[in-house]
Amino acid sequence: MTGEHQPRADEERREFREEAESLWRITLAPVTWVAHFVASYGVAAVTCAKAPGLLGAARIGLMLATLLALAVIAWLGWRAWRQWDYRNTGDYTNALGQAEDRHQFLGHAAVLLALISAIGVVYGTLPVLLLDTCR
Amino acid sequence: MNDTEQTGPSGPYPPTEAMLAKPVPQDEQDRTAAELRAAWEPPKGWRYPTAVNNSEVGLWYALTAFGFMLLAGVLALVMRLQLMVPDNDLISADRFNQFFTMHGSAMMFLFAVPMFEAIAILILPAFLGGRDMPFPRLSAFGFWCFVIGGVFVMGSLLFDAAPTAGWFMYPPLATQDEGPGSDIWLLGLSFIEIASIAAAVELIVGALKCRPPGMRVNIMPLYAWYVLVVGGMILFAFPPLIAGDFLFELERSFDWPFFDPTRGGDPMLWQHLFWIFGHPEVYIVFLPSIAIAAMVIPTVARRPIVGYSWIVLSAVGTGFLSFGLWVHHMFTTGFPNISLGFFSAASEAVVIPTGIQLFAFAATLIAGRVKMSLPMLWIAGALAIFTAGGLTGVMLAIAPFNWQVHDTYFIVAHLHYTLFGGMVFPVIAGVYYFYPFIRKKMLSERLGRWAFWLIFTGFNVTFLPMHLTGLLGMPRRVFTYPEAAGWGWLNMISTLGAFVIAAGFAVFVWDLLRPKGDQKEVPRNPWDAGTLEWSHDVPAEYWGARSIPHVTSRYPLWDDPKLVERMDAGRYYLPGSPHGHRETLVTSVIDASPELAQRVTGPTWITLWAAGFTGGAFIFPTFHMYPSAIVSGAFAVVCILYWLWTSTARPPEHGMRDAGLGLSLPTYASGPKAVGWWAVWITMLGDATAFASVVFGFFFYWTAKPDFPPEGAMHAAPAPVGLAVLALALSWALTLGARHWNRAGRVGAARAALIAAPLLAAGGVAALIRSVQHLEPTAHVYPAIIWALMVWVVAHAAVGIIMQLYCLAGSLTGKLTPRFDADLWNITLVWHFLCLTVLVACAVIGLAPEVL
Repeated sequence: MTGEHQPRADEERREFREEAESLWRITLAPVTWVAHFVASYGVAAVTCAKAPGLLGAARIGLMLATLLALAVIAWLGWRAWRQWDYRNTGDYTNALGQAEDRHQFLGHAAVLLALISAIGVVYGTLPVLLLDTCR
Repeated sequence: MNDTEQTGPSGPYPPTEAMLAKPVPQDEQDRTAAELRAAWEPPKGWRYPTAVNNSEVGLWYALTAFGFMLLAGVLALVMRLQLMVPDNDLISADRFNQFFTMHGSAMMFLFAVPMFEAIAILILPAFLGGRDMPFPRLSAFGFWCFVIGGVFVMGSLLFDAAPTAGWFMYPPLATQDEGPGSDIWLLGLSFIEIASIAAAVELIVGALKCRPPGMRVNIMPLYAWYVLVVGGMILFAFPPLIAGDFLFELERSFDWPFFDPTRGGDPMLWQHLFWIFGHPEVYIVFLPSIAIAAMVIPTVARRPIVGYSWIVLSAVGTGFLSFGLWVHHMFTTGFPNISLGFFSAASEAVVIPTGIQLFAFAATLIAGRVKMSLPMLWIAGALAIFTAGGLTGVMLAIAPFNWQVHDTYFIVAHLHYTLFGGMVFPVIAGVYYFYPFIRKKMLSERLGRWAFWLIFTGFNVTFLPMHLTGLLGMPRRVFTYPEAAGWGWLNMISTLGAFVIAAGFAVFVWDLLRPKGDQKEVPRNPWDAGTLEWSHDVPAEYWGARSIPHVTSRYPLWDDPKLVERMDAGRYYLPGSPHGHRETLVTSVIDASPELAQRVTGPTWITLWAAGFTGGAFIFPTFHMYPSAIVSGAFAVVCILYWLWTSTARPPEHGMRDAGLGLSLPTYASGPKAVGWWAVWITMLGDATAFASVVFGFFFYWTAKPDFPPEGAMHAAPAPVGLAVLALALSWALTLGARHWNRAGRVGAARAALIAAPLLAAGGVAALIRSVQHLEPTAHVYPAIIWALMVWVVAHAAVGIIMQLYCLAGSLTGKLTPRFDADLWNITLVWHFLCLTVLVACAVIGLAPEVL
């Protein structure tokens, strides 16, 4: 048993914060994808409806948004990679019921979600790169 | 510390091997088993419908959904007969319209989604070694709502009054449709959507808070992960449709022109709201079905699943990406190409997570020692068919190809491949796999193979040619076609195939329902599976788990050979019921450490009454009988209040309970430790999504319409809007204050706040109504959407007022005390959301006209 013992009150609160944080954290990369997607769709829709002439500027703005989104996802992915700690533990499945396994598993899941979110953001940028008119 | 002061668990946790190895004396085993049996006994005889056990409600739910599926299948057969030969006149065009509308609507709303809920209610507690769902009466209420709504909607077919505008009800066709068809669809299905959200709340809380001790998130069954993701998706997908229904019904009933372009409205808003629901919906039915595959495959392969984390990624990733696809149903509506590009790209991207789980399944099968079984045969069929549907999906995600085949039979073929492969086949696999768990008998191997090959062959004979029929140009939803079109032979093949499918289902239904009295009972774990549901009792017991185990791995039955024996002996948690209550264990969200012995509700008629009156509130407006609807709605509120008052969050007689293995647990919790608080949080999240959809409508009109707001339009009166914000925000602050003062023991101050708060809220409501009085909602969409926002806020504030008065009454009668204040925590949470709603709505009503 690694560090399993009777929890004290303050420790319990701290652990709850930590665990709640890591469950949210696995969704942060996909949420970044959502933000990027909504921004792309919203900016393109409003620009094309209200001011098609500004599409050029909007595209540059969206490409910058892509760089920002990818940077955020890369940072989240890096933190998750550290949490997974695969290089040190060599444990790929985290199939056991210890606190450490749970902690590393959430890191692993977050790494994978960061990966898929980054792919999603790149896909979502392709129309901005390839199309230069509203029609 | 005395009994009522203590709020946390005390005693050793986790249990040591020595504690678990200590035998339980036989007399104690017998006594506690008898206690549990008495507490969980479902009602008998004419009281049977009052049962709320998940094993009963889940079964009713599943059978009802399956019944609706068979009816919808019969509609499809009649349509296939009509289309068998050119220029056929078997049924009229109008009846054909009713049939295809109801076929799609019933398959989606009365079969696919309810079936997920039914199966989850039936088996999720067993996966989690639990007793029941956290809110059994809510499941029962949802089920009865579903039955009433489903019978009402399907029944309209018998009166030749069914909706005719197709399952996605596009305006202006649907808004201008004469007769009650569209209203029946809108109100009947809104009612069922609300039941779906209730089930989602139940399932999310079940998966998060009712896992057995030790089952951390990294070892919970994959099914629970999928349920969590799908529950979350329901919360974000169904509310836009409910918001759309709200606007649609206001147009149908009161002529507010949300979708009428002659008065500034836009039919495209409905398409957006419908498909923001409609596309995630496909994944909502697909993911939980494929989750069944994730449970069957490790058993068949006789090894743990390969790539657990990858499958979690797949479920969560698909859940997110599936919300970025909705416009691919609207590629032909004239969006800017760049916008189409975003949705085309996301539609391609979603293939990646969807595919990953299928590869993980294949890898598990390759790495394992496969023992072929009937459930696996159905899973194999599912994967084959789903992959074919997925490939046409990739084709359809490409906009130019999509334009070519839009609204042709190619689409019909594609969607049936995805839904049969992604939902029908895995669910039938699940029926074969879980039947011994549910009924303690086996289904026939021979009949099962017959059913499989008939349905599999029939399916491909029916739908494979439809790709070609569509490419040759046959539009969907036509009731007949001329001989010269040259589609006759393809349609003939499809019709023949449809009857082969029907024959397969006939075999399946016979196998399911035939009497099996002479069959001897199954062994407890007939498939040698590793997950907790196979610790079930044969013959059946209703207590769920004899005692709730401490779990330390993903496949506890494989890894811990003594587990079942110890569960049976009552060695683990909550082995008895000393006070005769139904209880289940509530654990922490991530690490599942025990927190609470939660008392759950038992059999009652009140859920049936509540469902009946709620049904009236939705059904009477279909026939424009508004006074009856209001009376019915008021009775529904009374029923629900009675139900909550008498059986939820009552101060317990015993503050702590010995939970077994030396652990002592509280029996009452308020705030984030209480399951009720989580349920409110999740419900309000869904509600906020619906509200956001209405607000989206406002800004959609602004982008899509040059005359929004129209020149010289009158706006809401600013002073009353400001007054409403002030009064409702104060009401919120007082509610929050009441919670603090009550907790601090200043009960008098709390009561005073709970008297002032509803008065202020009522004043705020009056001011808000006053602020829009001079606007004419039927004149233009701008005043109409302002009225809609007002109605939304007023209806929610009314609920908020009832909640404040409920807590006041609780405080005065001793139901709510400084220590037992769960109700006050819950309504404060509602008021947080309500306050946000008020601020946003009033900003849109009061400030947006200036800014735009």
